[in-house]
Amino acid sequence: MRERRTRVDLAVELCGISLRTPLIPASGTLSKEALGEVEGVYGAMLPKTTTPVARAGNPPPRVGETPAGMVNSIGLQNPGVERFLQDLDAFDLGVPILVSVAGDTVADFGGLCERLADDDRVSAVELNLSCPNVECGGLAFCAGPASVEEVVAACRVAFPGKPILAKLTNDGVVENARAAEAAGADGLTVINTIPALTIDARARKVLVRGGLSGPAIKPVALRAVYDVSGAVRVPVVGSGGVVSGTDVAEFMLAGATAVQVGTASFVRDPQEMLDEFSAYLQESGLGAAELAGALRDIRPTLTGGRGR
Amino acid sequence: MKFYSVQVEERKELGGYTLLRYRWNDGPVEPGQFVMARAAGYPVTLDPFLARPFSFYDYDGEVAGLLFEVRGRGTALLDLAPTIQVTAPLGRGFAIEADLGRAALLGGGVGVAPLKVLGRRLDELGVPYDVFLGFADAGSAVVAREFAGAEVATMDGSVGTHGTVLDAVVGTLQDYPAVYSCGPNPMLAAVKLAAGEQSLCQLSVEERMGCGNGSCNGCVVPMRGGGYVRSCVEGPVFRAEVLAW
Repeated sequence: MRERRTRVDLAVELCGISLRTPLIPASGTLSKEALGEVEGVYGAMLPKTTTPVARAGNPPPRVGETPAGMVNSIGLQNPGVERFLQDLDAFDLGVPILVSVAGDTVADFGGLCERLADDDRVSAVELNLSCPNVECGGLAFCAGPASVEEVVAACRVAFPGKPILAKLTNDGVVENARAAEAAGADGLTVINTIPALTIDARARKVLVRGGLSGPAIKPVALRAVYDVSGAVRVPVVGSGGVVSGTDVAEFMLAGATAVQVGTASFVRDPQEMLDEFSAYLQESGLGAAELAGALRDIRPTLTGGRGR
Repeated sequence: MKFYSVQVEERKELGGYTLLRYRWNDGPVEPGQFVMARAAGYPVTLDPFLARPFSFYDYDGEVAGLLFEVRGRGTALLDLAPTIQVTAPLGRGFAIEADLGRAALLGGGVGVAPLKVLGRRLDELGVPYDVFLGFADAGSAVVAREFAGAEVATMDGSVGTHGTVLDAVVGTLQDYPAVYSCGPNPMLAAVKLAAGEQSLCQLSVEERMGCGNGSCNGCVVPMRGGGYVRSCVEGPVFRAEVLAW
């Protein structure tokens, strides 16, 4: 007799890319030294943001712990795109590779996209439009929809035929999301870390002025995903404070097609999160791809009438 | 990274510090390597969130020790939890040069920790060495009793020599062909200066860490030629000459 057993379907499709699980490492949280342990967990790889030339990054201290989270100010330390591409094979775990890029100018972003366009290893790019730790890029490009639109449009031209994700900060996220979509972004990553500060009162010194991540920002990120996915047609990748399989489910119910895991991977095996998410799907009888839009309630909005 | 939930075997108060011992049988440990540890909880304690790095204090193949000072919520919980979550062994430890001759081991504050397991290794290799320890006061200097024969200095003069760990050194540090040190970074910079360029000087740096596995780039130290290097993967032990300070 055949055993009756429900198979959990973890697969999702993001901008035409098939992901065998909806989990993606958030950029800057999974180094090649740590890859050995994550095989089979992630649906795609996403190495740390690359820039046109090497960046030394910010002086230490770069990290500070805060309630249920951490503030970081790394400053996009990276060896530059050429060296990045030399090392990229290390990230080949048999799943698509998404590449996070950042620059100080529109031309920087366009140039990076052009450099990556013909590399078959690169399935898509994620434009880091919102790093809070790089004054020039961060402030210029998270300033508003006009600059988001300009960067995305330039990248669209430079990166034909493959998907572009725009990673947005929480501030003005819906307007920026609409601007990115209008300029040709195929998807949106929502949200980046939130600008934050830690101070040592006894020493009367600023410890870290950077971006907040971790479970502290989860409700903020969830709201952003929910609002953005109701405002645009392109898929949304949820990011911000995911710690458990239930968190993954919440982001997908809020409208995310895939979910990034970042800071939590420093203290938890992401395989456990995937196992919990599988158990959730088993219990709910839904596949991962069916969760977006599976909320039972009527979408509450302030203005009313903006449904899905 | 693999996260292990392990039972705490013993907690021992050593003045201002706690020596926590836990069962550990997941591979050999090199002196100077470290562990990321936090109080265990299901599914994960959200606050405090990050694990903290601690040097291996000792390890006998079954039980490992870590030495810490309660400074905030993370270490306060570590001082109470029946089980802790650990990831280890991490980082690059001391590269022991057994043929050089007499070694000097210098520790400051809770940074004395890796010198215990290092001393044991030197004993095994038959390398002669002297231990010099510096503390703020008598409370933190209690841990010195775990280091037989160590010369001690305290900043307030309550125990041993009045001054820093360098004031505890008998003779000059430059007489030692090998110097191994761990402590606050300003102390390490002073040790580097005192050791001069003739010694093989290795420093185990203390940095705040996010991940412990090279991913977040949070724990960097400045390099002599410019740029930064991660203390969790390329360190925490560095040859003194490669560091900018």
